[in-house]
Amino acid sequence: MKTKMLVCFALLLACGFGLIVFADDHEEEEMNKLVFSKEAYKPVAVNNGGKISGIVKFEGKVPEKKKIAINKDPKVCDVVEKFDESLVVGEDMALKNTIVYLMDITQGKEFDKDAKVELDQKECRFNPHVQIIPVGTALTVLNNDKATHNVHIFGTKKNRTSINKQQTKNRKRMKLASAKAAEGPVEVKCDIHGWMKAWVAYVPHPYFAVTNEKGEFTLENVPPGEYKLGYWHETCGNNNKEPVVVTIAAGGEVKQDFTLKIKK
Amino acid sequence: MRKSIYVLSFIIFSIFSVNIMVYAQDAPEVSEKGKEVYEESCAHCHGVEGRGDGSAAKNLLPQPRDFTGGIYKIRSTAGGELPTDKDLFDIISKGMPGSSMPEWESALSADERWEVVAYIKTFYEGFKENESPPIEISLEGKIPYSEESVEIGKFFYAQFACFECHGNVGRGDGTSAPTLQDEWGFKSWPANLAQSWNFRGGSSTEDIYKRFIGGIAGSAMPMFEDASFGLSVEEAQRYGQLENKVEMTDAEDEEFNSLDEKMGNAYDILDMMTEGLADEEQKQLHAEAMKVFQEKSWHIANYVKSLAPEKRPEPAIGKNALRSQYTVDTLPTIDDAAWETLEASYFPLVGQIVVEPRQFNPTIDSVNVKSFYNDTEVAFLFIWDDRTNNTEEMEDEDLGKTFEDAIAIQFPVKIPEDPTAPKPYFLWGGKKAVYLWQWKASAADTVTELTAKGITKAEVQEVQGDLQAEGKYTDGQYRLWIKRALKTDDKKDLQIEPGEFVPIAFSVWDGANGDVDTKRVISSWYSFVLEPVPSSKRFIYPPLVALLSLGILVGLRGFVQRRNT
Repeated sequence: MKTKMLVCFALLLACGFGLIVFADDHEEEEMNKLVFSKEAYKPVAVNNGGKISGIVKFEGKVPEKKKIAINKDPKVCDVVEKFDESLVVGEDMALKNTIVYLMDITQGKEFDKDAKVELDQKECRFNPHVQIIPVGTALTVLNNDKATHNVHIFGTKKNRTSINKQQTKNRKRMKLASAKAAEGPVEVKCDIHGWMKAWVAYVPHPYFAVTNEKGEFTLENVPPGEYKLGYWHETCGNNNKEPVVVTIAAGGEVKQDFTLKIKK
Repeated sequence: MRKSIYVLSFIIFSIFSVNIMVYAQDAPEVSEKGKEVYEESCAHCHGVEGRGDGSAAKNLLPQPRDFTGGIYKIRSTAGGELPTDKDLFDIISKGMPGSSMPEWESALSADERWEVVAYIKTFYEGFKENESPPIEISLEGKIPYSEESVEIGKFFYAQFACFECHGNVGRGDGTSAPTLQDEWGFKSWPANLAQSWNFRGGSSTEDIYKRFIGGIAGSAMPMFEDASFGLSVEEAQRYGQLENKVEMTDAEDEEFNSLDEKMGNAYDILDMMTEGLADEEQKQLHAEAMKVFQEKSWHIANYVKSLAPEKRPEPAIGKNALRSQYTVDTLPTIDDAAWETLEASYFPLVGQIVVEPRQFNPTIDSVNVKSFYNDTEVAFLFIWDDRTNNTEEMEDEDLGKTFEDAIAIQFPVKIPEDPTAPKPYFLWGGKKAVYLWQWKASAADTVTELTAKGITKAEVQEVQGDLQAEGKYTDGQYRLWIKRALKTDDKKDLQIEPGEFVPIAFSVWDGANGDVDTKRVISSWYSFVLEPVPSSKRFIYPPLVALLSLGILVGLRGFVQRRNT
């Protein structure tokens, strides 16, 4: 009798835990736009690494370019025409601003320490529109406008409450405190000029790329092995549930293209 | 059997106690009691799981806080920090004016409120991970309120670009105001700094200072770091002066550049501090510059404090009722300085929630009214704050649908015989009709007379009387001047007699807030009176009474003296 009761309780407890774990996983998937390995990333010397490259294309009817109506500071902001950047499709359906990355890599090359991590504000537009920032690196925000901006980086439920700092026209450079953990991409906005929007992702390892106008991406010096290749795009979503598996041989090169549709 | 239950309870207990460890501040350990109180009193709006999605949440703006995100607007802590336990306790106790969050001081005991604080913190993991308490904003170096400080604050209000959202004189009408959203994508309006009673986190100078330094998390209100860092108050003012010069002499140019360089260097040090790379000397310079920044911030807080009255004005009833002042002269026009001599009567407004479509989230606080009359006419000045000037119906991709701003002033057609007699239904009448003056922002010099027997049953009067009107919109405020004869020939009009209390009520539409038709802000019935002309008899009777009393006294004294002898 005693043992039976105990077993029952144990089973109940196990079920409970199972549910909790399941619920957590489910929630995490919804919340995260990118997948980061739970294991801490270890920088090592990479010899004879391989290369993954490809082109991201858009499929479907390309929406008409949406011109942004400038309702503030026209002398500074309305110098050149600006368009909505949530879906930038170039020649041959090339899709700009897609993050392509390795989901499950746990060791490999170090971050390029000389790379500039800057977000520019010029003519009331953020540049670049999508950016990756190494965890622990401070983002430098530039103000090249004779106008006051506020840099509002949205919070994520997991690690951080939001940051919202005024950058007046007198302040040309402003460093933002670095992120402690990988997350994002999160939205960046200037509330003063409501149309100014961008995305930043705080990433734990250097195997991240953002596609250019031609939709191209390259991940270089990847240690040989098998990896899950993921993508994220602001309007087209991610492939967290079905990543592409790529195998890299020493010194080898893998081509992997993607075709993305508007997320429903 | 009993033993196994003990073991089990111990296991469950240990699991829970690990899960709910929060950094020790003021709040007690999490208890069943906190959960109970939360679910009974808070969950209707904030949701059982703290996601801000309770059953009542749908119609509320600002939306109830989602506790799972760790974003708290009203904090005494630096930008990007979590609130202190005391912050949470204070918000629960005092509520958030201008939002749907009520005060709980009168409904829950202090213990219960502390239990709720502890429970709310369990919704966000960040509270558990954060072992050290959040960094609080220092209130040291407070500059006392003075005219001089307000004047300096006014300069920095401009240099720190507060006007972008809050407008030139602080009525929340800045050019960025219409497009502001919070992080959850809901419309959010900048505070009208002239209506401090609606400040969510209180209106003391310290409260204002904290909102300014720490920002309002989740909203467009950023934390500030100085717009002229490293420059003293005088240098910053000089910099602003030179900056606005169209042409500078060589000497001025040099002066400007040296100030600009000084500021640039200070900002570089600020960045070094952010990255933790500053050396001792730089830290020293940073600390000095921060002191000056705090000084500037206190001036700004004093300026903001100066923009609003100390308290919300008393509503226009009793001794505050609207009393039209008699003048022998012609009545003043809209910009006449004579209006400045009158105190305005304050009519608070609320969202119309009786008839569909309703307004649950009003943006217009009140209308202020002044009035003069002479032997034949009466003139009114209606004043109300509206953050945007909407003169037509518009469909905008970013802003959604907006409508035209408007106001309607309502009177009964017939004045009730005595003050206790029933008035027409306050929502534009019913069986008893009401008489209305309707003004729309698109036709600033026109007032239309209506008769209504219900909120949807208004008709334009066939005979439009001789009403004069002029409306103006400046710096987030409408001023509407209306003049009419005291007596008219139209039976559907109101006839006004001095000394008679006339019921009056208001409807106001803020087109940018989606107000149209029955969706509007309203008041119930108030009253106004043409203050009777002071009678000349007051110069005769009082002295007469005084003389008489004196006579009696003298007589009495004589009588007593005589009796005593």
